[in-house]
Amino acid sequence: MTALMSLTNVSKNFGGLTVINDVSFDVPAGARMALIGPNGAGKTTIFNLISGVYEPSAGEIRMEGREISAIPSRNRIGLGIARSFQNIRLMPHLSVLENVMLGQQARAGSLTDMLSPLRRSKWRREAEDLLDQMGLDTFPGEVVATLPYGIRKKIEVVRALVAKPKILMLDEPAAGLNNTETANLKDFLMKIAASGVTLIVVEHDMSLVRSLCDHAVVLNFGEKIYDGPTAEVQNDPHVLEAYLGTRHAGKEATDVA
Amino acid sequence: MSGYWAGILTILAINIIFAYGIFLPVATGQLNLGGAGFQAIGAYGAAFLSASFALPVPVTIGVGMLVAGITGYLIAFPLLRTRGVYLVLATFAFAEVVAGLILNSDTFGGAMGLSVPAFIDWHVAVIAAAVVTVFVFYLMSTRFGLTMRAAHDDEVVTDLMGVNVRGVQVAGFAIGGALAGLAGGLYAHSFNFVEIQSFNALVSIYVLLYVLLGGTQTAWGPLAGATFFTLLPEALRTVLPALKSSIYWFAGVEGPVAAPDDSWRFVILGALTIAMMVLRPEGLITRTLVERISFRRSNTDKGALA
Amino acid sequence: MLLIQQLLNGVMLGSVYVTVAVAFTLTIGVLNFLNFTIPTLFMLAGMIGWALAYWGLPFGLSGPLSWPMALFFGVVVSILASLVVERFTFRYLKTKYGDSTEHAIPLVSSLGFLLVLENLVRIGYGTDAQRFPGPSHDLTMNIGGIFVRIPQLVSLFLVVLIVVGLTWLLKRSRIGRGLRAIAENPDAANILGVDTRRVVPIVFMLTGLLCGLAGALFAVNYGEVSPQMGEDIGTKAIAGMVVGGLGSIWGAVLGGLIVGLIEMLTIHFFGADTVQVAVWGLLLLTLFVRPQGLFGHNSIGKGKL
Repeated sequence: MTALMSLTNVSKNFGGLTVINDVSFDVPAGARMALIGPNGAGKTTIFNLISGVYEPSAGEIRMEGREISAIPSRNRIGLGIARSFQNIRLMPHLSVLENVMLGQQARAGSLTDMLSPLRRSKWRREAEDLLDQMGLDTFPGEVVATLPYGIRKKIEVVRALVAKPKILMLDEPAAGLNNTETANLKDFLMKIAASGVTLIVVEHDMSLVRSLCDHAVVLNFGEKIYDGPTAEVQNDPHVLEAYLGTRHAGKEATDVA
Repeated sequence: MSGYWAGILTILAINIIFAYGIFLPVATGQLNLGGAGFQAIGAYGAAFLSASFALPVPVTIGVGMLVAGITGYLIAFPLLRTRGVYLVLATFAFAEVVAGLILNSDTFGGAMGLSVPAFIDWHVAVIAAAVVTVFVFYLMSTRFGLTMRAAHDDEVVTDLMGVNVRGVQVAGFAIGGALAGLAGGLYAHSFNFVEIQSFNALVSIYVLLYVLLGGTQTAWGPLAGATFFTLLPEALRTVLPALKSSIYWFAGVEGPVAAPDDSWRFVILGALTIAMMVLRPEGLITRTLVERISFRRSNTDKGALA
Repeated sequence: MLLIQQLLNGVMLGSVYVTVAVAFTLTIGVLNFLNFTIPTLFMLAGMIGWALAYWGLPFGLSGPLSWPMALFFGVVVSILASLVVERFTFRYLKTKYGDSTEHAIPLVSSLGFLLVLENLVRIGYGTDAQRFPGPSHDLTMNIGGIFVRIPQLVSLFLVVLIVVGLTWLLKRSRIGRGLRAIAENPDAANILGVDTRRVVPIVFMLTGLLCGLAGALFAVNYGEVSPQMGEDIGTKAIAGMVVGGLGSIWGAVLGGLIVGLIEMLTIHFFGADTVQVAVWGLLLLTLFVRPQGLFGHNSIGKGKL
């Protein structure tokens, strides 16, 4: 597989604090990749670097071979990079439908698109269809702020999806969901992946990671400590050390994953 | 129509247009406390062209509007470098500088003001207000309107969705400035006189409060806010004396009752502001409210069809 | 010689701005709140003071009070009004969505209070300016052709005392530590055991006290009060605060003095009408070019209101 996206020696400092230190990894096209690590390892920072919220202090981020660090954050979704957020960042005063339609922006930026009414537009129909397909049978005109957590979480994924991305980055999609909801989410994400979208998922729920992802990158204190198949991550000595400390390494290996 | 009602309708129309001018930047999340400055530019632009060159009214108002809009566009770039409290202060300072410059300009009559020869009927202002209202409703129904409201809720995410947030906010200031300028031009020709005292800091405060109390989430908000607060003093003019004389009657005071002070309307505006911020800070008319009303309507529609 | 006299007048006027600017900067620095009632609190002390000195306590409780007594009550009224403002602006600030309109809630409420208080005073006492029966205007020293009014000198001394006292309070006392903790991070301050509901009213009491004193000093020194007296002073104090840097007390002191001096010098060289352009132009320029002012921290007031 060729690399759809690659990070090369990427570092990020805030003042004197190094949050990401010399991290490199490739994201193969069509991969279902997990980005894992203890709290504060720098997973969300990687997302913020890729989506352009932060600029890397050093290193290169390439999308389809093209260096993107100099591209303004608002143009990256047009390159095919969409994401969700750890704490849901939907627009609270917009309706479900409007939130989803906002996700189309990268494809609908022309002056005619901007200045024609959304009502009865093809954009609105597309958004409604996608919501239907994804089984979000909530009233699409409902203002988002009043909806339950699990549904908002899903709407955020749909909003990213409607941009027709090549790469979809999900930040803890299963946080706060119960077992049934998590299982639903897994099927939902498998369906997305099957349609050809590359996934990068930050997730703490290891059973979800194992069943969903084929590839894992593990970070600890801003450094990459593992890069390989998900199946072997729980046997890796560095990963065990990061999660449990050296003394316990090997003893409670099964608990890690 | 009596002159009294013609006057009230004119003021109402001007206030609605003015409120929409402030609504557009506020809808993108930028509090504009410099409304009087934009209005003054439009008013003095129209007044000057009418008084000095006797140009026809559409031209004077059009040019005044254009100048206010361009000012809004140009000032937006340095303004939007500031945020939060700084932005409020900067817009406030902008209005004061405009007022100060006009006050010191002989061309614009300084402290004496300018007489405006051409007079327009109340129809003109009312039609202009209707057109502006339709325009803003249209604007809010487009994707552009969607991005404005998104920028209000969360600038960072809106940017990541591919929206040029700065561009949307600049457009809000520019179009808003033009509308406030239009309100000023209509004012100049409706009352045939402009003086800088009519465009003081309190005017900026009032119009911002109209918008915030009406609600910033939909185009209904400024319409409701401006209408309510323009008609309030007229209602008070009838209600307050009646109230006062009945209180006097209860207290057993005989004799004629003096009309209550005009300042009461501002006391009421202020008190309502405080109460609204406590009870309903989103403003009177919210998305949910509009949604609920239209939802109910579409439900009954369906019922009629079945 | 006239220029020196003007400079001196500028310092005297600036000292009034300084006091009000310190009140502004205190609420912004600690609570991140641009409190638009401050000009009204300034006016309340002067107008209530005048009313008491003219008519005495309400309901015929007393005849006209002596002017120091009247002003004392005026300052008390300012402090009480400021506490009422706290009750209805800051205490109700709930951020549900964290959007830009919500951050503006206290600011908008304070605009509401500005309208209510100022117009109530107008209804009660009329809109005209009133002569304040202060100390005799003969109390003037002539130092080599420069006239120095003794009450002004006393005021200047008082202002310096207030600012030094306030700095001491913020730096050394327990209340000050609580205030600075809240300024740093309100949530963390709560966790660390700073009782926000106790400490926040202190900011408002100090605001009322500063504005009240400034209003009283203004009434004594300039011999005139009106319901509008706060507007001009308040806006100039804002300008001073911005020039000095938001959230910095010494910045407000320097900024207030600079604005006072610029005002007097502009009047001296260009006439009274140009003051507005000079002062507000300076403010606009500061905001665009160096928004942190002379002493401010760049973080204060950003993103939030």
